[in-house]
Formats: sequence, C-alpha cells, structure tokens
Amino acid sequence: MVDDPFPAAWIPPYNTLVVAAGVASVGFAAGVVGCFAVLRRRALAGDAAAHATLLGVGLAFLLGGGRRDLPLLLAGALSTAIAALLGLVLIGRWTRTRDDAATAIVLGVSFGAGITLLSGISARGIPGSAGLEQFLLGHTAGLTAADATILGVMSLLAVGIVALFLKESTLVAFDPLFAAASGWPVTLIDYALVVLVAVMVVVGLPAAGAVLVTALVVIPPVTARQWTDSVGVMLPLAGIFGLVAALSGVAVSSAVPRMPTGPLVVIAASILLTISLLIAPRRGGLARWLQARRTVAAWADGRLLEVALRLDSDGPFTREQLLAKAPGVAADSAFKRLVRSAALEPVVTRAGTDAWRLAVWGRELAAERSRRVAAWTEVLEAAREDARGHLTIDVPSPEAILGAARMKAIRESAAAERGAGEARPGQPGQPGQPGQPGGGAGG
Amino acid sequence: MIDADSTHLWMHFWAIATAATVSAGCALVGSFLVVRRLTLLGDAISHAVLPGIVLAVLAGGRPGGAGVFLGAVVAGLVTVWLTNLLGTHAGLAEDAGAGVAFTTLFAIGVVLVSALAARVDIDPGCVLYGILELVPFDTVPILGLEVPRALLAAATVLVVLVIGAVVCWKELVFTAFDPAAARAAGLPVGVISAGLLVATSLATVASFEAVGAILVVAMLAVPAAAAELLVRRFQVMLVVAVGLGVAGSILGYLAAWRFNTNAAGMIAVVLGIEYVVAALVAPGDGIVARVVSRESLRWRVACEDRLASLWRAEEGDAAALAPRTLLGRLAQARLVFWGRIGRGSAGGLTDIGREEARVIVRSHRLWEAWLGRHVALPLDHLHPPAEWIEHHLGAEVRGRIAADLEGHEGDPHGRDIPSEEFPRRAADEPAR
Repeated sequence: MVDDPFPAAWIPPYNTLVVAAGVASVGFAAGVVGCFAVLRRRALAGDAAAHATLLGVGLAFLLGGGRRDLPLLLAGALSTAIAALLGLVLIGRWTRTRDDAATAIVLGVSFGAGITLLSGISARGIPGSAGLEQFLLGHTAGLTAADATILGVMSLLAVGIVALFLKESTLVAFDPLFAAASGWPVTLIDYALVVLVAVMVVVGLPAAGAVLVTALVVIPPVTARQWTDSVGVMLPLAGIFGLVAALSGVAVSSAVPRMPTGPLVVIAASILLTISLLIAPRRGGLARWLQARRTVAAWADGRLLEVALRLDSDGPFTREQLLAKAPGVAADSAFKRLVRSAALEPVVTRAGTDAWRLAVWGRELAAERSRRVAAWTEVLEAAREDARGHLTIDVPSPEAILGAARMKAIRESAAAERGAGEARPGQPGQPGQPGQPGGGAGG
Repeated sequence: MIDADSTHLWMHFWAIATAATVSAGCALVGSFLVVRRLTLLGDAISHAVLPGIVLAVLAGGRPGGAGVFLGAVVAGLVTVWLTNLLGTHAGLAEDAGAGVAFTTLFAIGVVLVSALAARVDIDPGCVLYGILELVPFDTVPILGLEVPRALLAAATVLVVLVIGAVVCWKELVFTAFDPAAARAAGLPVGVISAGLLVATSLATVASFEAVGAILVVAMLAVPAAAAELLVRRFQVMLVVAVGLGVAGSILGYLAAWRFNTNAAGMIAVVLGIEYVVAALVAPGDGIVARVVSRESLRWRVACEDRLASLWRAEEGDAAALAPRTLLGRLAQARLVFWGRIGRGSAGGLTDIGREEARVIVRSHRLWEAWLGRHVALPLDHLHPPAEWIEHHLGAEVRGRIAADLEGHEGDPHGRDIPSEEFPRRAADEPAR
C-alpha cells in the first residue's frame, strides 16, 4: 500500500469547506455593514427586521409549493424584513407612538405572525416543512455548497456596496446635518443603509437564526470600536471579528449534536467583545486601570516631595514625619519609590537610619512642582474671575500659556517701546497702562 | 375543530384564562414602560430572563415556583445593569448596549437549554413561543378545582402588580411623566425605576410558560401603545390597555383554535391588528381623522377657489375656465348640487353662491391691501399668500383689517374690495 501524503481524514469534505467559506464571508459582511447600523443607532431596527424574516420564510415556503429552496426562502425573508422596516417608518410618520415602542410592536407582532404561520404549516403536516424551524435559531448543517455560495456572493456584494459608498455613508453616519446641508440625499442614504442591514440580517439567517442574527450585526462592530477611533480601521476589524465569531460558532455547533448555531455564534462574538473590553488599548478596562494607577502615583509622589521640601528646611526628617504630613492614597508606596530613587538619581539622601534629606535634584523637582501648582492656581483664579462676569472668553489668558515671568518681560519691553515712540501721532486716545490684558484681547 | 366534549372546553377555558391574566399583567406594566420610553428594556428583559430561569431550574426550582421567579428577576436586573455598564464604560448607545446584553444572555440560555435538555424540563421551542395549549395539563388543586399552575403564578403576579401600582400610584405617575421634577421633589426615582424593572421581570416570567420569551414583547408594548393612541388620560389608558390585552388574548386564542396554529403567535397578531385599528380610528390624530381633516380642507379650498374664480369672471370680462383637475370637477359638481352655481353648461353664480364668493374675494383683497400697506413686498408677490389665507380669515379679522385700511380704497392691483355686508353686483361698478 502506497503511503498517502494527505490522509483522507485530514481533508474536510468539499461541501464543508464551501459552507465554511460562505459562513465566514457572511460573518465578515455582517460586521462591516453592522458598523453603520451601530453608528446610526439602527441596531434595534435591524432586530425588528430580523424577527420579521420568519413570516417571509413561511410565506415563501407556501408560495413555492413546499420546496425548501434557500434562495426563494431568503427572498421571502428579505421582503418581510423590508416590510417591517417600512412599518417602522409608517408608525413614526403617522402615529404618536415613539421609536422604542414602535420597534417593540413591529418586532413582537411580526414574530408572532411568523410563529403562527410556521406552526400552522407544521400542524398541517405539509411535507418538507420540518426544517423551517431551523431558521429560528440557525442551523448550518443542512446548507449545501450551492446555498453557501449564494450567501457568500450576497455578502461580498454587500461589502462591495459599503466600500463603494464609503464616503457618503460615513458622512451620514457621523454628521447627518452637515451632510444634508452639503446637499447629500441623507434620507436616501439612510434608507439604503437600513435596507443593507436587512439584507445582512437575511443572509445571516442560516448561520444565526431570526432571533439572534442581530447580534452578528451589532456585537462585532461594538468590539471593533474598542480598538480604534477610525472608521477605516473599524470596518475591516469588525468584519474580521464577525468572521471569527461566525466560523467558531459553526465549528462548535457541528461538533455538538442538536445544538443550534445561532447562540454559539453569539457567545463567540460576546467572548471576543469581553476580551476587547478588558485589554483594548486606551479604552479597555486594563488600560484604564493602569492609567488611573499612574495618575494616583504621580500625584502622591508630587505631594510627598512638596511636604519633604518643607520638612527639609528644618534639617533631616523621618519617614514617620513625612507620612504624617502627607497622608492619603498611595503615600506609602510613593515613599518607597522616593527611597528607591536614591540609587539612580538621588532625590533623597540618607542622613541616618531613618533620617532623610532632599538631594539637589530632589529640591529642584520639588521647586518645579510648587511653581507649576502656583501657575495652575493662578490660571484657575483667572478663570473664576471670568466666570464672575458671566462671560465666556474663548481667548485663553496669556499668562496661562506663556507663564507669568515671560508675560511680565513682554509687558516691560512693550512699555519700554511705547515710551520710546510716545510722540508718534495718530493714537492720542490710547490708554497708557496695559491694565486689562484679558479684556484687551477681545478687541 | 371544535369539540363539544366538556373536558375539552374546560381545557380551553383554562388556557384562555391564563392568557388573559398574563396579558393583563403585561399591559399594566407595559403602559408604564411605554410612557417612560423604556419599552426596549422590556424587550431586553424578556429575552434575558431565560438563563435566569434555566439556572433556577437547574438549582432545583420548579417551573412556576418562587425560585424561578427569583432567578428571572435577577437575570432581568443583570441585563439592565449590563446595558448601563456598556453605556458608561464602553460608550455604547443604549440600543447597541441592550442589543449586546440581551442577545448574549438569551444565547447563553438557549445553549444551556439545548445542552442540558435531559436535566432541564424546558422545551427550546417553548422558550421562544410558549405552549399555551399545554398549560391546562399541569395543574394544582385549589378548593377542589384543578387550576393550572401557570394560571396560579400569573394571577399571583397580577395581584402583586396591581397592589404595587395602587400603593405607589402617585410616585409612579410622577416619575413617569416628569422624572426631573420627581427627583427634585425628593422621590427616590432610582428605586422606583428599579421597582418598575422588577415588575417587568415578574410579568415576563409569569408569561414565559404561556407565551414564550419573545411574544411577551408584543404583550408588553402593543396594548399599551394602542391605548396611548386612543386616550389621553393615563388612568384611562391603563384600563384600556388591560382591556385590549385581555380581548386580544381571548380573540387570539379562539382564532388559533379555529385555524389550528400556535396560540401565542396568534395573540400577538390579534394585538397587532388592534394596534393598527387604534392607529386608524384614534380620535383627533388617528390616521382616518387626519386624512379626513386634510381632505376636507382641500375640498373646501377647491370649492371656494371655484366660487372666487367665477366671481372674478363676473367682475371682469373673461369667462371662468372650466375646472380641469378631478378635485376641481368634483367641487364644481358639489357647488351645483348645493345651489351655489346654476345648472347648465354656462352656469354662473347663484345669489347664495355670489354671497359666499364675495366674502372670499373680500378676504383675498383685504389681505393683499394690508400686505401692500405694511409689508414691503413687490406687487406680484402679494397674490400667493392671499390665495392661501383667504380660506382662513374670519369676519372679525376682516373687520379689523378693514378698520386698519380705512380711507385706502381698493386693493393694490387697483380692484375694488367687495363690501362685507351689502350684496351688490360687482358688474354694476366698473372694475377700474
């Protein structure tokens, strides 16, 4: 027997590969399109559309004479999804009912209608109706390669449309007022985006099911948002998160018997989100915690230095004395840092077993810190004075930026210049004293 | 198919009673959610109670028992907490936050149900759309009567909700309509809101067995929203919402029985129909009322324009053009029918018609004259506003404008302004 370099068991069947590719592209596209749903706050409109798809699946099944033809069922699903969105628009335009209640009404009633239809179909024992319930929670096991190809192609089309109209949809997502003022058809673009979301919801049905497919549209963009502030990065990132979630959900569900795909896809997406919420740079919980720690430590260091400077003027001081004068959060660890610094750049020097003096560098640091504190105090005082007159001055106080010393120098040189050119004609009424720099800035 | 067997009828009675009780509780809570714009939290909670119920059942609770209620309430509060957490820490909008929180919790619930199907006596289908038809088979004896366990649970919850609403009525209404003022008045708004969320969880879990997680959303939102369209006072709205919910449950169940399909789904459909009807017939700003008032205005404007054009034709030399639009022709027919215009192809104004037309033309020219005097508009810009306002000026305003124009005869185009009181043939006086 010849050694087979690729044992058959290691190559997944062609069908599985195609289905995996289809599901992957569905996840990718749902993430990309979902970014706009999240940015435009249309997440729950998508949910209402998703719940309405069930009715369309049932109708298309009856219309097709009991064939379980995926493209047909999905076309039905899309039509009722869009009808649900239309219902939302109509309720908003014609009644007093507010958005949140309108969403709940469309969602609940259309889902009820779908359940009624599907139950009616299965109660009548129409052949081929057994699999329809799979659209409820998603089930990819029954997908053929042809079905998956259709899903994949539709997803890629959706991504293509987003890429084509990236500028327009970004503009509308972030500043609809500006977009409208610049002459863009905002309402049209808005509706197009919502329809695109409906398409993604429908395409995602086999993978995630009507009840949970909205998660495929919402969670990956939210996850991507944790990592970036740029739409250009957020879109592909959301796509990748969606892809990973969809693939891992499908993989796990194929390994566990009788397990619907949808919940697993959602849980996979949520795990990614949880991880991102924890470790994402700048926004993540870990980054925030570290930042908070650094801030507290820096504050404690500075405060300790300030107290040390005061104590140092009376000779050596002990740890007890220092901590008694500067109590508070993190004072103890700040003292340890102070002592540890002695090895590198001496901030304090040892003058006994528990007696310390500020070193030259330490004294300079402390002086610099009190100077800064004084400067900020001055700025805040100035701000308070502005507030007293109920004025909002958009010109910052020059002292705050240049520092009091430079300001004083500038003032002196200006006065000297004025003294030199006093005889200059044409400005006899000009006040001789630059008394109110803040008020003068406005003129 | 309707079976005359009395046992069967009892079964249906119990199922209907359960659905109606559940629906009444949901409508009660839903009314507060709708006026406070918290419907989406109701949506989120109804999805998210699933893992709470499953875990409580796993821990040994019985479906419908106190432990399960506790689990569901905790799960509901966790959803709201998660949504808020995502809002404050991840900067998510409320809809996205809720979308993340409730889909995740619901997914966990479904996975638990599917994975532990052998140990948990919960049917994955029941999770989504309930098994109202099977409710009468699980009973407990009360006073010698076999009462369904689900009905007992729902009735208990309903009583608790009603007592809660009555006891905290003033606080609930104050908070619902003006939370800022309520807070300023020293009410514990946060506690009241949390209480409302607990009430939502209770109503949801009581409905769970009967109608499932998602159709609870319809029971919470639809009757309340429909009642809000129909009436203005909140007390009346509550009563109407409960009435609509109960009626929808009964009709929905009967329809499902007749068509042999899922009862909970059908109840949602009937509630939806109720909402559509309410939106159509709501007094004042219902769709029908709006369309009627808009169309009747258009209709009146068309009639008056026709009268005025005939009047101008009598005043000048040119004959009035025959109406071209459908509305214009209908208006012509109506004016002929009511004796404003004479019959026949060359029918001119009758005396009554002339009287009415004169008032309209007077309004028109008074307005033009007034604009011409007080507003710096070019001469050819005076007509459009007058053409619009001529249909809306009353006798009093006309009198005040006339008093203001005292001594200025004629309109800016040099035509006479017909007088208010005395009918006179415009043709008697030269137009220029």
